[in-house]
Amino acid sequence: MKRGLAAVVTLSAAAALALSACGSSKNSVSSDGSTTLKLVAADYGTGPDNSSQKYWQGIADAFHAANPKITVKVQSINWNDFDNQVQTMVQNHQYPDITEGDYFANYAQEGLLYKASDVLSNPQNLLPVFAKLGSYQNEQYGMPFTTSSRALFYNKKLFAQAGISSAPQTWNDIQTDAAKLKGLGKIGFGLPLGSEEAQAESLLWMLGNNSNYQDGNGNWTIDSTQNVAAFQFLKQLVGAGDTEPNPGTKNRTDLWKQFAQGQIGMINGSPALIPIIGQGKVLTDADWTSVPIAGQSGPLQTTLGVCDFAAAFKNGGTSKQAAIKSFLDFAYQDKYQLQFDKEYDLLPATTSAADALASDPTFGPFLQALPKAVQYPNSPAWANVKAQIQHTIGTAVTDDPKKVLGAIQQTAQKSS
Amino acid sequence: MAEQSTVIGRGDGKLRSLARTAYPLVWIGPAIALIAVVVLWPVVVMFRTSFQHISPDGFVLGRAGWKNYTDLFHEPDLRGVLIRTAVWVVVVVAVTMLLSVALAQLFNERFPGRRVARWALIAPWAASVMMTSLVFRWALDANNGVVNVFLHDLGVLKSFNSNQADWLGRPVSALVWMMVVAVFVSVPFSTYALLAGLQAIGEDVYEAARVDGASRWRAYRSITLPLLRPAFLVAALINIINVFNSFPIIWEMTRGGPGYTTSTTTTFMFQLKQSYIGESAVMSVLNFGLVILLVLLFLRATRWKDQVD
Repeated sequence: MKRGLAAVVTLSAAAALALSACGSSKNSVSSDGSTTLKLVAADYGTGPDNSSQKYWQGIADAFHAANPKITVKVQSINWNDFDNQVQTMVQNHQYPDITEGDYFANYAQEGLLYKASDVLSNPQNLLPVFAKLGSYQNEQYGMPFTTSSRALFYNKKLFAQAGISSAPQTWNDIQTDAAKLKGLGKIGFGLPLGSEEAQAESLLWMLGNNSNYQDGNGNWTIDSTQNVAAFQFLKQLVGAGDTEPNPGTKNRTDLWKQFAQGQIGMINGSPALIPIIGQGKVLTDADWTSVPIAGQSGPLQTTLGVCDFAAAFKNGGTSKQAAIKSFLDFAYQDKYQLQFDKEYDLLPATTSAADALASDPTFGPFLQALPKAVQYPNSPAWANVKAQIQHTIGTAVTDDPKKVLGAIQQTAQKSS
Repeated sequence: MAEQSTVIGRGDGKLRSLARTAYPLVWIGPAIALIAVVVLWPVVVMFRTSFQHISPDGFVLGRAGWKNYTDLFHEPDLRGVLIRTAVWVVVVVAVTMLLSVALAQLFNERFPGRRVARWALIAPWAASVMMTSLVFRWALDANNGVVNVFLHDLGVLKSFNSNQADWLGRPVSALVWMMVVAVFVSVPFSTYALLAGLQAIGEDVYEAARVDGASRWRAYRSITLPLLRPAFLVAALINIINVFNSFPIIWEMTRGGPGYTTSTTTTFMFQLKQSYIGESAVMSVLNFGLVILLVLLFLRATRWKDQVD
């Protein structure tokens, strides 16, 4: 293979490591009072045109114009690698100053993060619904930046072709409708259990059987009988060929794109699927619709509410903290919240921005559903548990569900 | 007086000879320092880490003793990963070497367009392995990958988005396709190494054989193969190490999934790192030991010293 090349790469990597080790001195406030902040954000875009790099760079440039002494360096990372890369930065103690994407309670537990009140002038404006999820021991560290909720999307055109007249409401409906859609040569139900966001799809099915990752008291219930039954249902759905083949290897974004191409009949999605459908230019607005997620015996009364957080790492002295605070105050202005929501069809995370959108015909209903939404577990063990769910839960639809869920349950109990 | 002067003289000589022995250090010193920093030090850190209890956020919480080791050996997926790694290395290296021997001999013959063909073989070598893997991944896409479109046109593939079309979703077929990619990127180097070996065999040896009445097949068996052996062994050894450590192909094509069913020890090590740094370090120690063991076994089996030195 490439021995010479490998040697060169190794050397330059070593050199880069050495250099970056020097570069990441704790305090990047230089003697003339100028500060550089490193912002690492997840990429919500569907391509280079609407990448989050562009969104954040716009804010960073406007901020720099108003505060010439502070420069914000923006790095965006796609969702597939975001957790892993941020985790690697943390493990190597090369902290970014601000992250926007997933927030993990274990960072707060380790004392790596600033409290929301330390880096935001008006933390009360953050949506209170998600305050608990962003908190550790009653102090809020994760600052909601954008939110969304889940719904079942289906292709009305394909439904009409298959002779289905009503929206799917129960697991039984899903099964029979998917079988009919399969007869058209399409994928009946898109089931993304690959590593990108398996934890969301799995939870929707658990909720459908009145269960969750945790019970009301915060005890892990990953291998509860209801959850095992949910995966047994999925296993036979997959076995019958009513989903795409091998769901454990398929990612959300890829399947959403296939839905937009008209290849998939039904899929659980968030408002972020809407711009993908628009870009696909295959489905018109009349060709699809979204309804509440189907459950075992009826549609879900509450859906999964997902919140992405901004978090600020303790990475320097008080002047750095002041710089972070002035940047976050700037970035949390309503106009940037609304710009983000328009760009990606996601929901705002501040009360003032939510009020501005409350009467919007697209966003309004989603916003009203948010306060009732079910959220991911708030536990320092979640980072570990989620990583294992992403890697292995897809095998529950080919292997023995009880065994796979049991192994994840064990990890959860061990890490708690 | 005389005695004293000899003492001084002797001391002088000692110093001079010391200077003479130390002199090469000036030249090789930087290389030694480099090896110490980029090779030896990481090995030391790796061993140390494998005995530490480290939180998922990278904080050392204390000593772990052998706990990381027992944890790793109790991972239910480890057995499959080890077996898969062995199959991966053996198959990829064997197929690569067989193909390379054939290609090297073809390229050693004169034929029109040989120069172009030789250049073309560099392409998979020059291209980034990650890029090659991505190209293959999309070519194998179950919905509209070019491989599936081709097979569908031929009538081999009945429908898109079927299990049959989903090459990378099934562990066995995914592994086979990743082996194809690994061979594809490994063949150029081995072919060039063998081609150099072939070109080093003098025409006069063959002429002498012809004069003595040896058939072409006999000349191939008794001259070409034995004289090619050193080049073959070097190429095979470098391939073993590279294929064992191969990361981007598996990562880009399947990420080791579904579950860990297409993971080798190298990708498994990376997956463990996300939550269990200590265990990952143990996997790294194991990899380190395995690659050394592989190389020693290979050297022994091929009686390296007699052949290459």
